[in-house]
Amino acid sequence: MIIDINFVGLIIASIMASAVPLILASCGELITERSGVLNLGVEGMMIIGAISGFALMTVTGSLIVAVFGAMLAGVLISTIFAFLTQTLITNHVATGLALTIFGIGISAMIGKNFVGIPGKEFPVLFESLKDTIPLISPILFGHSIVFYFAFALPFITSYFLKKTKIGLIVRAVGDSPESASNQGINVRLVRYACILYGGAMSGLAGAYLSMIYTPQWIENMTGGRGWIALALVVFSTWNPIKILIGAMIFGGLTIIQFHMQAIGVRIPVQFLTALPYIVTIIVLVVISRDSRKIRLSTPSSLGKSFHKDN
Amino acid sequence: MNTNLKISNVTKIYPGCVANDNVSLEFNSGKIYALLGENGAGKSTLVKILSGVIIPDEGKIYLNENNLNLNSPSDAKKNDIGMVFQHFNLFETLSVFENLIIDSDEQRESLREKIDLIMKKYNFPIDLDIPVLNLSAGQKQKVEIIRCLIRNPKVLIMDEPTSVLTEQETSELFLSLKKFSEEGILIIYITHKLKEVMKLCDEVAVMRRGKLVSVSEIKNENIESLANKMVGQNLKTIKKKKAKTSSDQLIKITNLNFTSDDPFETNLMDINFSVNRGECLGIAGISGNGQSELFQVLSGEIISEKKSIEFNNNYIGDLNPQERREYLMAFSPEDRLEQAAIPQMKIFENVALNNFKSSNFFNNGLINENKIKEHSKKIISDFNVNTDNIELKSQFLSGGNLQKLIIGRELITSPDLLICFNPTWGLDVGAINYIHETLIKINDQNKSIILISTDTDELLKLSDKISVIHKGKLSKIMNAEEVTSEKLGILMGGAN
Repeated sequence: MIIDINFVGLIIASIMASAVPLILASCGELITERSGVLNLGVEGMMIIGAISGFALMTVTGSLIVAVFGAMLAGVLISTIFAFLTQTLITNHVATGLALTIFGIGISAMIGKNFVGIPGKEFPVLFESLKDTIPLISPILFGHSIVFYFAFALPFITSYFLKKTKIGLIVRAVGDSPESASNQGINVRLVRYACILYGGAMSGLAGAYLSMIYTPQWIENMTGGRGWIALALVVFSTWNPIKILIGAMIFGGLTIIQFHMQAIGVRIPVQFLTALPYIVTIIVLVVISRDSRKIRLSTPSSLGKSFHKDN
Repeated sequence: MNTNLKISNVTKIYPGCVANDNVSLEFNSGKIYALLGENGAGKSTLVKILSGVIIPDEGKIYLNENNLNLNSPSDAKKNDIGMVFQHFNLFETLSVFENLIIDSDEQRESLREKIDLIMKKYNFPIDLDIPVLNLSAGQKQKVEIIRCLIRNPKVLIMDEPTSVLTEQETSELFLSLKKFSEEGILIIYITHKLKEVMKLCDEVAVMRRGKLVSVSEIKNENIESLANKMVGQNLKTIKKKKAKTSSDQLIKITNLNFTSDDPFETNLMDINFSVNRGECLGIAGISGNGQSELFQVLSGEIISEKKSIEFNNNYIGDLNPQERREYLMAFSPEDRLEQAAIPQMKIFENVALNNFKSSNFFNNGLINENKIKEHSKKIISDFNVNTDNIELKSQFLSGGNLQKLIIGRELITSPDLLICFNPTWGLDVGAINYIHETLIKINDQNKSIILISTDTDELLKLSDKISVIHKGKLSKIMNAEEVTSEKLGILMGGAN
């Protein structure tokens, strides 16, 4: 069998495409968690983003309105979470789970009218360059703007956390909200902002699924990607670059196991389907096992409510 | 330039407690002021009001005749009031420099230069690029002080700064504070340690139960006069009677060794000692020299070789704490809220944790609440715990009351041996006195004590025999009358 080099390029590009929603949602959740808030509602926010994006695209016909609308929908639903956990001091875990259940339910309800409607084609960038260099071109060119944004995001996130003042404040709040508050930092405001940002990124990840990756609406179409995104944040030890690696491994194995199933490799399907989950976690655990570094990058106040008493 | 800080008629009321009752005070730069009081006297509330963390119900603060509106910590900072809190306000996982730049508006480079200057001037050598969690308590405090100095404060408030410091670090701190004061910074020093007030301060204000009791110059005071003002009654100075020399051996430790897997723990090497009935053996040492490991080995949290501990003619080295208690040993660990009691549980529930087969706290797996409550009430009245609500969660008890409860819980079963570790750490004078009296009483009843403590005065006051632990090794056992605190200090430093 002769392997076409461009075919390899296309496989790599499809792996990267499948990693996009994971990277977006994980990087958003990473900021939320770095501020000390554990939002388990990623799956719910993603699916809300997916249905909002698809519905707005169908109704208004504008892709720009649809993409930003999906992000706004993510922000709105995360505002509920922020209000409950930061203002009413509810438990992060229970509230996040409720958010996911709520998101899945409401998206199915809104989505009833949109099942079976074909999506629109999303414009891609640099399409003319797609055939210039073998192997490299199909990887680099001919993707949507969201794709490029997703692959820049881990680096932007890393820079934001390490080098900017606001990033420092986010880390400080996650490390010790009490100290931050005594330093005159408005802990609640910072956490609200981080939760809303996480919501926006989850919304965008959902919109990518329903508008670009598989342009249609199917009930429950996020299919657990929100949970994978959450797992990536933890197993990457809150490091955006490792999220990128984890998302690529997960996307890669998902695509490859599809191909293996298609070729008819004699390995049980269940095992193949489980493979991406197992391998991703093993790899991330192995590359993140420096306990000192874990201690330094784990937000100490993660999941704990902060209540200013005075 | 002169700085004048005036507190005028400040009142802060919490439900069920008046934390500050119409307090008025005036401070002038060039002097070091002590704010003295027992735990819960209201001094921390007062300085939190000065630093904007707590907003008073009534009253005003004036700095150089200007009325300050302190609604948040940033207001205090803007008005040149710097505060070093008792519990550090640092971000452990951030680097020292990140901790310092976070509330500064300056550029990185200029801030770095400024910090370098401060560190050079006051001899604070700290690596700015390592995470704060790698620093010692003394270094962390220096970071807090630098954070205040960056803003050129007019007022610097130190809340119980020495509670986490070693003696050496304490004297360094005092030197720095005197230097700041000479440079015109107004220093307010909050403490309940009388010796420190005498050593460091020029004027002292004493608070008791939310009220200001007295303001006076240090030269007109002495330790006794201040202690009486602080507690509000004349303290009896307690002295231990010379113990009857008994030769009835109660516990004997033979060739006890402990090797830890944790690099942050100290290994114990070849520990040998014995304690007779009615005796108190004091074990001195600088903290971190194996005291915590020794306590755990003696209490059974760490199991050792069966024959290494002989108690009342039984070998008990391989028994757990519960089993050792059945042989009439009792334990009071160092950390009251982590090891000795469970903060979220009610008083009577904490009492039930120390249960014996004979105490009948449980019937067929069910909790016998009435029995436990009755028992708890007895502890509370016998041991002077200042509450009548046994349903109260233990975390709301003051340190002194909690320690009385713990010691009471251990002693009410009348054990033969009490092992305690820093029993008066962080307590106020009244509570310390009570604990000391109780410990002396135990010895009088011909029961024994092993007292592991970092407080040399306490050891000299209570012990019959003293040994020093250094790097996991015990010095020879000395008679307490032959020992001075200087001699102990030398042994604690590792000399022979």
